[in-house]
Order: sequence, then structure tokens, then C-alpha cells
Amino acid sequence: MPFLQRTLPLILAFVAGIVGILTFYIPAASGIETEGATWYRIIFAFSMILGIHSLLSMHWRRIRRRQAGWGYSAVTWFGFLAMFIFGVWNNSHGPGAPIDLQGGGMVWLYDHIQVPAGATMFSLLAFFIASAAYRTFRARTPEAAILLVAAVVVMLGRVPIGVYLSEHVPTLSQWLMATPNMAARRGILIGVTLGAIATSLRIIFGIERAYLGEESEDV
Amino acid sequence: MANLTNIDRRWIFLAVFISVLVPLLVGFHLPVKASPNVRAIYTSIDALDAKAGDTVLMSFDFGPSTLTELQPMAKAVLRHCFRKKLKVVGVTLLPEGVGIAETILSDVAAEFGATYGEDYIFLGYKAGNEVLILNMGEELRAAFSTDVRGTPLDDLTVTRPLRSLGDMAYVLDISAGYPGVEEWIQYGQERYRFKLGAGCTAVMAPDFFPFLQSGQLDGLLGGLAGAAEYETLIGQPDAAVSGMRPQSVGHVVIILFILFGNVAYFASRRGGGS
Repeated sequence: MPFLQRTLPLILAFVAGIVGILTFYIPAASGIETEGATWYRIIFAFSMILGIHSLLSMHWRRIRRRQAGWGYSAVTWFGFLAMFIFGVWNNSHGPGAPIDLQGGGMVWLYDHIQVPAGATMFSLLAFFIASAAYRTFRARTPEAAILLVAAVVVMLGRVPIGVYLSEHVPTLSQWLMATPNMAARRGILIGVTLGAIATSLRIIFGIERAYLGEESEDV
Repeated sequence: MANLTNIDRRWIFLAVFISVLVPLLVGFHLPVKASPNVRAIYTSIDALDAKAGDTVLMSFDFGPSTLTELQPMAKAVLRHCFRKKLKVVGVTLLPEGVGIAETILSDVAAEFGATYGEDYIFLGYKAGNEVLILNMGEELRAAFSTDVRGTPLDDLTVTRPLRSLGDMAYVLDISAGYPGVEEWIQYGQERYRFKLGAGCTAVMAPDFFPFLQSGQLDGLLGGLAGAAEYETLIGQPDAAVSGMRPQSVGHVVIILFILFGNVAYFASRRGGGS
């Protein structure tokens, strides 16, 4: 069992990682890369099933135990089943046919429930951002004051009223985004990327084993 | 004065609500000036040649939550493409993007009398995120053997001559997160060297300036303002230009609250000090 639980996953991670790296640098191996990518997409699709199972199991436990907020879990189950049934029905064409996007229950549910609900949820952010900005954008220190001024310039520069106030507002806003912001973002990107490379190598060589539920090996 | 530094947030909510509602009801004109990043996408698409069979790939990588911000830019670019009689291939990396992309493509195509299969097609969604981009880059048919309606790609006028992403004259990714612009850059543009433009929410736009500076991104449409600039460039103001009125007033109201909060803060500090 230790072979299946520990050794085999480590071997698979090593082989897949090394093959992925080598196929990037060897143009003649592009066929292997394409095939490997197709395999990955199939596994990815199956992992979605695992995710759905995990989500529904968690909500079912809440319903069964009548935990606080179990009603929302019941709504989750109802919404999933409704979409699933209409999706499989596929406007009477069945699951084997290409998805019918021209009409049917699934399209109706999507257009009239999911889209308005999703848009509404995101729209609420505007109110909370306004409240948070009022409470937190205080020029308590020189750095906070610089941040405040920059935020005001960018906020005005991104809307037409900035042009209305002054031709220089959008220009200054663009400069702030294209120079200091770009420099800081580049530094963050390089740091994050180097970290990702280091972590990936640790996973490939079996040093990082969090995905097995184990502690990392001290190197 | 201490109370003014801590106004009940419901008053702020009400002010934001009024600042958005009133401009929607009351029409007034605000000048929209195209920024260089938006103009770059417009210029690139305008330079494409329909007679040469140039094809534009649009990836609709957003869902319902960012629909209001990103749909206008998708429609504006599509209108530009259809006006120039360019062929358009639609795709999405998100399952919730399928319905949105289908609606946008069919609505705008109907405005220009564009025919499905001849002028545009929709590939749909396949699982894989960035790996799907890799597949499409190597061999389009390895990722999508048929379009979303089940028609083989070789039977469609638009996709018959296309083999991979490298055959696209322009790729525009409109995204709200992951998978999105960075994946298209890393796994698409950098590998297969096609011209890539991006559209994103306003909050994400600052993240992509390094890619603009390096030339990996041809141009950037940032939020509703970017969409309004593009609508102005194509001479067809629509939802985005209309949305600039409430967005402008909303921004001014938020700035006024910030300034008011700072005035109250410093006044209370001075009052507390004396």
C-alpha cells in the first residue's frame, strides 16, 4: 500500500513534470506534448466530478444534521438538480446531442436566474467599496497621503469627467498606471514566478509532498 | 466631529445609489477620449484584411458576475469585426461563459446579417483551462473536433483553413480572472506568437501593464471605460458610453466621501489635541 499511496504518486509527478519541461524545449516532441495535454484535460474533467461530489456531500451533511443555514444548502441542492436535469434533457435532444443553446429549460434558468443573480452579487461590491474607501482612505502618514492622491487621480482619470475637469488628469492617470504601477507589478510578477518555479521543482523532485498529505522533506 | 469620521454606512449606500440612479435617468453628454491602450486594439483590428481571410479569435472568459462590465467591450469589438467583414471564431474557457458568448455572438451577428458558419462560429467550452490553449496552439482540431453545434470544423467555411492559433490574425481575450489573460500570454502568445489583445475588469487592468510594456499584449480594454472608448472609436455609442454617466458621478461621490472623511479626521485630531 505504501507503494500506491506514496511511491507511485511521487514517480508519476516526477515523470509528468520532467516530460512537461523537456517537451517545451524539444520542438520535435510537440506530439507528445499535445497528447499529454489531451490526457490532462480528460483528468481535469473528471476532477470536476470530484469537486461537485465534495460540494454536494458537504451540503447534504448540513441538511441531514440541520446545521445553521441548512436551508441554503437545500437551495444549493435544488439549484444543482434543476440545472442538471434540464442540462441532461437538453431541450428534448438528450445528453448525447450537442448542447442546445437556442432554448430550453437550462437556457431559461441561466438567462433569467443565474445571470441576474451573478450580476447582482457583483454589483453589491460598489456599495461596500464606497463605504470601505470612506473609512480607510485616511492620510494618516505621508505614504497614505501619496496613495490617496494617486487613487483620486486614477479614479478621475478612468472616467470621462476627468477629461472634463482637465486634459492632464487622464495623462497623469495613464502615467501612474504605466510607470510606477507597472514597475511594482513587474517586481511582484518576477517574485511570484521565481517562487512558482521553485515550488514546481520541489514537487517534481518529491521534496514538497503536501499533495500526498505528508510533511515536506527537509533538504 | 468624531461622529462625522464614522458615518453610518447606510447613508453612504444611499448616496451611491442616488449617484448611480439619477445619471441613468437624466441624460447628459460626457466626452469619451480613447486611451493609447484601447486605440492599439482598434488600430490592429482595423488593419486586418477581410479579403485575405483574416480571422479573429475571441475568447469570452467571463461569467454572469462581470457581464455588465465586459459584455459591452465584447459587443463593441465584434461590431468592428463584422463591419469589416472579418471572420470571427468564438471560444470560452469557462463553462458559465457558453451561454453568454452564444448570446453576444448571435445578437451582434444579427445586427450585421452575419451568417453562422460563413462569417462566424462558436467553438464552445472544453475543460482544461491553459492546457486547452496549448492544445489549440498545436492543433485546433485536437482541442475542438466540432463546434458547439456538433458540426465538424472542416465543414465550416470559417474554420476550414485554420489549423492552429498561429493561423489567427488576431486573438482577443476578454476575461475576469482565471483562466484569462495571463494564461493566454503564457501558453498562447509566448508559444505561438500571435497578436494578442485583452479586455478585463477595471480592477484587473493595472496587473497587465507589464505585458503591455513588454509587447506581449497588443492593447488593453480596461473595464467599462475601455469599452466606452472602443464604442467611441467605432462611432457606435451604446451601453458603455451610457454607463460612463453613472460611473463618473459615482466616482465623484466616492472621492467626495474620501475627502470629507479626511477633513473630519484631521478636524477631530486637532479638536482632540486642543
